Amino acid sequence: MSEVQRKKYSDKDKNNIFDHEFMPHIDSMYNFAYRLTFDEDDAKDLVQDTYLKAYRFINSFEKGTNAKAWLFRILKNSFINEYRKKSKQPAKVDYQEVETYYNSDNVDYSMTSDLRVDAVKDMLGDEISNALNSLAVDFRTVIILCDLEGFTYEEMAKILDIPIGTVRSRLHRARNLLKDKLRSYAENMGYDTEEE
Amino acid sequence: MDKNLNTSSERKQNCSDENKCFELLESILDGEGTVDSNEMLNEKLAKCQPCFEHYHLEKAIKEILQNKCTKHMVPSELAATIRQKIQELK
Repeated sequence: MSEVQRKKYSDKDKNNIFDHEFMPHIDSMYNFAYRLTFDEDDAKDLVQDTYLKAYRFINSFEKGTNAKAWLFRILKNSFINEYRKKSKQPAKVDYQEVETYYNSDNVDYSMTSDLRVDAVKDMLGDEISNALNSLAVDFRTVIILCDLEGFTYEEMAKILDIPIGTVRSRLHRARNLLKDKLRSYAENMGYDTEEE
Repeated sequence: MDKNLNTSSERKQNCSDENKCFELLESILDGEGTVDSNEMLNEKLAKCQPCFEHYHLEKAIKEILQNKCTKHMVPSELAATIRQKIQELK
């Protein structure tokens, strides 16, 4: 990202960058942290750690560039390196296996094709949030970054340290998984998901 | 079929390359399309029923994600705590 050249900011510059470029993203940062950890205290710690790291490494941030993506990248790395290890969540999902499965050519699209636009539009916030939260963290993350936070594929590639092609295919797989969840909600709501 | 898709009979019912087409449709929805994307999109939606359905379903899901997902309020003391910790760093 903006780590090409180290800057030498004065204290005044640092405070200025911190207040005007970093702090305005605290809302998005907290929500991202909460959606990763599902715990208010863990989310607070994660956001706090991220901001402290951002301040400590502020000389590698170029003023006026994409602060939000820079901060999200730090937060995501802190989560992987620190929180994921100690979290109470079950052992890491075998992500490779899931990716391979959804990458195969014989994915059964008929499984999700019967989910209707009308049923989706009638869903409640809690239902869509729960469906999203039930996805494995790597799939959840791409949907959060793309659909909730509006990052471009290029920004996502930098935040996640993966190629753009992988961003595109992972998003596609994440969306298929999300549709499976939404389909079961739709069925529970009593929507007729069968073809007429 | 869906009642409001009155032209669905004019579209082909099978997509020859769903995986590739669906990824492409999603990238257009995500604002990652190229200059030719609009033309390609219109053609696909007019001619291919699975593409048409996929596009509209993904569009609806993207919209509810954006508009309805539960948002959490930032704890009021968090910003102050961060500022205080930074003062301690100096």
